[in-house]
Amino acid sequence: MKRSVVKAACVFVFLAALVFSNLPSSMASQIREIRISDSKGDWGFPNPYRHYPRGPGYVRMSWVFDTLIWKDQNGYIPALAESWSFDADRLAFTFHLNPKARWHDGRPLRPEDVVFTLDYFKKHPYRWITVDHVSRSEAIGPHTVIIYLSRPYSPFLSDIGGTMPILPQHIWGSVEDPERYNDPKAFIGSGPYLFRDFNKAKGTYLYEAFTDYYQGRPKVDRLIYLRSGKPLISLSTGQVDLANIKPEMAEQLKGKGMVVIKDERGWNKKLMINHRKFPFNDKRFRQALAYAVNRQEIIDKSQRGFARPASFGLLSIDHEMYNPETPTYSYDPAKARTLIEALGYRSGPDGRLTKDGQPLKVELLSSNITVAGESVADRDGEVIKKQLESIGIQVDLVNMEQATTDSKVKSWSFDLAVSGHGGVSGDARILNEMISSQYGAGSVNSARYDANPELNRLLEAQMLEMDQEKRKAIVFKIQEVYAEDLPAISLYYPDSMAAYNPGKGIVWFYTKGGISKGIPISQNKMSLIR
Amino acid sequence: MRSRIHHELGRDPWFVTGAVVGLFLLLLVLLGPCLAPHEPYDMSFIPLSQPSAGHWLGVNDGGMDIFSELLYGMRNTVEFGLAAGLVSLVFGVAIGLVAAWFGGVLDHVTMRLADILLAIPAVMILILIAALFRPSPLALALTLSIMLWPTTAKGIRAQALVVKNRLHIHAAGQMGASGAYLIVRHLLPELFPLYLIGFATKARMAMFMEASLAFLGLFNPSRKSLGIMISYALKYYYLDIWWNWLLPPVFLLSLLIMTVTFLAISLEKVFDPRLKEAM
Amino acid sequence: MRRGRYIKPLPAFVLAGLIMVYASYRLPRLLPGDFVSAMYASSPVTLTADQEAQIRAYYTRGEGFSRYLLNLFTLKWGYSYTFLAPISALILEALPWSLLLMGGAHVISMLFGFIAGVEAAWRRGGYVERAGVGCMTVLEGIPEIGTGVILLLVFALYLGWFPASGADTAYAMFSPLGRVWDAAQHLALPLATLVLAYFPGNFLLTRGSMVMVLREQFVETARAKGLPPVRVRYAHAARNALLPMVTRFGLRIAFMVTGALVVETIYAYPGLGTLLFNAISMRDVPLIQGIVLISSLMVLFVNLALEYVYGWIDPRVGYAQ
Repeated sequence: MKRSVVKAACVFVFLAALVFSNLPSSMASQIREIRISDSKGDWGFPNPYRHYPRGPGYVRMSWVFDTLIWKDQNGYIPALAESWSFDADRLAFTFHLNPKARWHDGRPLRPEDVVFTLDYFKKHPYRWITVDHVSRSEAIGPHTVIIYLSRPYSPFLSDIGGTMPILPQHIWGSVEDPERYNDPKAFIGSGPYLFRDFNKAKGTYLYEAFTDYYQGRPKVDRLIYLRSGKPLISLSTGQVDLANIKPEMAEQLKGKGMVVIKDERGWNKKLMINHRKFPFNDKRFRQALAYAVNRQEIIDKSQRGFARPASFGLLSIDHEMYNPETPTYSYDPAKARTLIEALGYRSGPDGRLTKDGQPLKVELLSSNITVAGESVADRDGEVIKKQLESIGIQVDLVNMEQATTDSKVKSWSFDLAVSGHGGVSGDARILNEMISSQYGAGSVNSARYDANPELNRLLEAQMLEMDQEKRKAIVFKIQEVYAEDLPAISLYYPDSMAAYNPGKGIVWFYTKGGISKGIPISQNKMSLIR
Repeated sequence: MRSRIHHELGRDPWFVTGAVVGLFLLLLVLLGPCLAPHEPYDMSFIPLSQPSAGHWLGVNDGGMDIFSELLYGMRNTVEFGLAAGLVSLVFGVAIGLVAAWFGGVLDHVTMRLADILLAIPAVMILILIAALFRPSPLALALTLSIMLWPTTAKGIRAQALVVKNRLHIHAAGQMGASGAYLIVRHLLPELFPLYLIGFATKARMAMFMEASLAFLGLFNPSRKSLGIMISYALKYYYLDIWWNWLLPPVFLLSLLIMTVTFLAISLEKVFDPRLKEAM
Repeated sequence: MRRGRYIKPLPAFVLAGLIMVYASYRLPRLLPGDFVSAMYASSPVTLTADQEAQIRAYYTRGEGFSRYLLNLFTLKWGYSYTFLAPISALILEALPWSLLLMGGAHVISMLFGFIAGVEAAWRRGGYVERAGVGCMTVLEGIPEIGTGVILLLVFALYLGWFPASGADTAYAMFSPLGRVWDAAQHLALPLATLVLAYFPGNFLLTRGSMVMVLREQFVETARAKGLPPVRVRYAHAARNALLPMVTRFGLRIAFMVTGALVVETIYAYPGLGTLLFNAISMRDVPLIQGIVLISSLMVLFVNLALEYVYGWIDPRVGYAQ
């Protein structure tokens, strides 16, 4: 009898321990942890020199390292800098730093750190931004820093202000080889979260709240990233609180109580054209291609309807400097034919276009691409091939690995290539990067088109115009000229969505213009800051 | 004796089911290309469409008709299974008979070899070769056969040893029959049941391997196979594709393996009197 | 005699082991010249020129076979460029999970399959028994890939009772008991899949051989002696029915490994199977080689252990040798 009572008691204690060890924290407004998943998992160590050079890599670093200013749903907000001003005559930006800002090791953040960061990035460039046009910077008093530009640079606020992470001088001052610097001190930042752990093989990250954060203690104690290939299941079973989803999952998740958010159009699919060879070097041929391609059909067939046709002016329709008067090309195969025939091609009896006995034959390259960090198969090539063939162009569709396609495009050994990139809702500087050789030499998505002197002039001008309104006018003109010349054809913006569990009390959002330079991801740290 | 066997087989539910379904599947395999309403590589249809009159099982993510894919995939799986089964059978029988008949050093050597091959995990080598060299499916089937013949050989050898010592063999030998004659005319036919059983078991294993290897991505990605269909379908788990894309290859694969299993079981039952008692 | 029994199977296995190691050493070196770039060109991983040179050097320098063998024993299994980690670390991290899954599945399916088989044979002829045999025969025909997919969809997606991937919840602050529960939840579905795949075979085999054993003289004797039926079944008769199941396990183990690989991939269970799958899709040759070799050697050991187990179970086998 006694024995069974003792046994029962033990079982009870056992069960009680199990139950109580898993109860949520008793502090009502403090959330214990948030879990975020993506399909890749591994984006490198979260510090400026070791994160992978893609959006998700930057975001994981941004929890640990703060910038001078930041963005929330509506626009720029103070971060390390409480206020800032621009002196057009002296080409100087003044930032007044928040006196409460401090590093994770307790030391206060001083203007000398900003000065140091700018100098350090000159010696050891940070891949994401350039500090070339900064001539010098000065620390004035305990909380002010002035940055002088050598020449006007319109994306300054977006780059140096909103993207550049500030490094602690007392740690990096002695580091000669930043990319191999492996010490735990390499992760001392001024951001809301402390970096605790990263497991490369599992693709997991662990961050803990920095309780002395200058904007107040973060709402969530622990932030965890994991890797999951099945976001629908992970969200439904509560394994994960925020994840990118495919548009088809939206209805099901809404039904389970999740909140689904949709991004502005920040990523576009493009048809790259080798405008250095005939017949692609003739603007009329490129326009004919634009008329020949039925973008809605591509959207229906390869994106199952979850995308929207793009503006031909490269800049996103959601961009604040989008020009609604940008020339547009509706689907008009007859017009396409007429334009091509104007170049000397004739339609044969089989419908194929020929010139001097040579059929019009083009090679179209296609590959797997990454959209906001997820890898998708590219079927656009198939559809475009059919569309071009229906007006008489013979198309050789070649599927290659992305790396091979990229190198062929870079070396101009291609005719047409399907490609894509983001940033089209970020700073208008993206126009320069994606149009001109000078700015876009390194990017595989850049059209590298320098044949139009007026376009070149405009592109130069927009980089030097510090007045936003005047810059907008220039950017409007750029879109017009670009859509007229069409060095590359923007096809569509795939729908990009994420879903989160509202039960945790956090509201996630897509930042207008993208996080920092234009990253279309919904993990803005402001969601976790009061 | 023959008719008794036929009679028994005919009464065994496993055999009947296996034979009927098997015949049906065989028909599908042989007539596959004719039955397929579309070219399986034709990617022009709207991806992920639901089943319709034109596409009985709908369209997959690449724009290909699923029903046609299914037929071609099944063909490839069965082809692989039959090839591996047949070749391993030929090896196994040949080596087993020779070892049993000639005995001595030959027997010893071949059985040692068989032991070593049995000890090596065949599958691993197959995976390694498939991953590194990406050989053609036929080459892989042959490699698999090399791993499979030892069990057959051992079985054949054991039985051949028994038969070898039977009276009628001795008698024929006395009458002047040569070794080759005895092997071909007597041993070979008398061991027939073992061939069927051995073939069935090996073919079954080979088909399972083919589906698994395809699922793991060890074949050319554009080669149609039930395994790779399942793998692709699983990626779209969040869509309504369970019934039309995911389950058909699973079902068909199970059906294939089940059929061969049933046939093997009933053959074993009928031809091995000891086992029959147990059933 | 005793000692001889332990030594006898060794040569074949050692030889097999050496062949395996040699194969994994030689095969990659047989690949066409510039296989490194070809391999990694179609892989999502981009190698720096430095890393490429390192891999190429690793494969082309005339590393002797004995050196290779030595490295094997000292856990210097090479370096993976997809994961940027030493291969030994990756394998040793994934191994326990695989052992848990496969070991658990085999133990459970053998134990329950055996008991169920014995009981079924004892109660031969009843309707339930015949239906059971029928069901199990059908179930045996469904491959792991099929049951895995179905269980995933029904229990993880549709019902949401179990997690769909992983072996545990990362960075969870669980008590040790909570940890065990968490691991168990993640293990449930893959384990169930494998058990469903292995159970029918064990059940049918045990039942079949048990039926034959029950016919034997010594069983009658035991019954006649008035021994309790359970004792008759297990202590006397079942032992003889054990051998075929163990034999079958040894023969089929290699195929079971493929099945487990597939199941791990379906559930993204971080064992050797998923690691191998990732290595294959990333075309990470050193990693593929490492995993294949280590798992083959493990299978070899298991087979060797089985040889001894046979001898213990059935003394006749021991004497026959």
